Amino acid sequence: MNETNVIKVENVTTDRIFNISFELSLGEITAVIGPSGAGKSSLLTLLNRLTDPQKGDIFYYGKQLTTYPIIDLRRRIGMAFQSSSLFDGTVEDNLKFGPSLVGKWKKANGPLLLEKVQLPKDYLYRDVEHLSGGEQQRVALARTLANDPEIFLLDEVTSALDLQTVETIEKLLVQLAKEENKGIAMVTHNIEQAKRISDKVIFMENGTILEQGKTVDLLGTPQTEQLQKFLKE
Amino acid sequence: MAPTISNTSMLFLIVFVLIPVSLSYMYSLGLGKSITWSSLRGVIQLFLIGYILTYLFALPPLTGISIMLLVMITIATFHASKKGEGIPKVRLMIFLIILGVELMILSMWIGFGMISFTSEQVIPMSGMVIGNSMVAIGLALERMKSEFREGKGKIVAALSLGAKPQQASKIIIRKIVKAAMIPNVDGLKTVGLVQLPGMMTGLILGGVAPIDAIRYQIVISLSIFTCVSISAMLVTIALYRYFFNKNMQLIDIKSEA
Repeated sequence: MNETNVIKVENVTTDRIFNISFELSLGEITAVIGPSGAGKSSLLTLLNRLTDPQKGDIFYYGKQLTTYPIIDLRRRIGMAFQSSSLFDGTVEDNLKFGPSLVGKWKKANGPLLLEKVQLPKDYLYRDVEHLSGGEQQRVALARTLANDPEIFLLDEVTSALDLQTVETIEKLLVQLAKEENKGIAMVTHNIEQAKRISDKVIFMENGTILEQGKTVDLLGTPQTEQLQKFLKE
Repeated sequence: MAPTISNTSMLFLIVFVLIPVSLSYMYSLGLGKSITWSSLRGVIQLFLIGYILTYLFALPPLTGISIMLLVMITIATFHASKKGEGIPKVRLMIFLIILGVELMILSMWIGFGMISFTSEQVIPMSGMVIGNSMVAIGLALERMKSEFREGKGKIVAALSLGAKPQQASKIIIRKIVKAAMIPNVDGLKTVGLVQLPGMMTGLILGGVAPIDAIRYQIVISLSIFTCVSISAMLVTIALYRYFFNKNMQLIDIKSEA
């Protein structure tokens, strides 16, 4: 295993995905693409043990994922969801949820997190219900950032955003990967986004990985008929 | 002594049943049979309970009360647990919760000198508390299943942020308890204004002065309120864990059933 490949998935099968293998590295963005129902989100949830494989192995720093205490693991491998996952209450209630569980929340963190996702500081005390879809999505991402994970699993976190905000978030993701050496796996429907920011691409269909490799190679010269067709669509 | 309704008068109740039966016949509602049957069943059940209570009231209080409470709690448990099908140990938990809540409120009634430990007082009052706890538990279970289904995104997000199942469930427990308490909160707002409550009505019909009857009504209304909130909270706290597996992953109760 390459030293930077901190996550290694080997022949994993669940009820939704079949015999998949791939690796994730720190300092890289991996885009997971494919049609709806391909098993992209299921693939992410395996990595912070929101689900477990029926068959196969997942290694984290060379050790089975199951050997790590589950709570610590989920803090180290953080996941961000779409906006509907926000908790009732204010933006601050959402941001402090993760850090408060281990007594690590500092009030000063709030404005810094909002700055990262380009939301004004006075949003801290707003009820999340009164935010737009795009703003909610950014709060969801900031909530995951609050735990300062090493690896980010992002499930279509830019899907409801306007172009300008997408650009901001993309810059943030690149910064996290390249400057802070975080590993990022992101499910996206946006091929252009994958081209812009990802280093590697995993293409899935019907629960299996049909192609994976460097973004330039994979999206430049797709090998399978399915990926060629998907890119045309 | 309360006035009694004579057998002849009771026979005229057939008229009361004939009216909805005729309406059903007139509008082809097809309800004639079920109206007749449920009325007959209701009458038989009430006569039966009348005789049973007469028998129980004649027994020493501890025996009579214990037998009746056990029967009421068991029936309430079976009824409420229907709403929680698929949740492991749901019956045992509900039984223990209703029993615990009933014993708590009973000791408060006796301890504070509100009622005396006689079958005539304990059984009817306990029946109301147990019945309302049963409804609250049923509502809490229904709401719990729907909250775990609809609020799945939030719970999974909480787990992924490092929350334990108990911490992740906190975000919906509040909603569940609130939903189970709302009927009682609303009921208390209009108590005595729209409809005279059953217990008070019974006492007044039995010849008790209204000002004395309301004292019992206040005791029972507030007791029900207490029991409903505790029952809903306890059933949620006792059963949320069955929506998670040992790896702190959310499971689908329906598919597990």
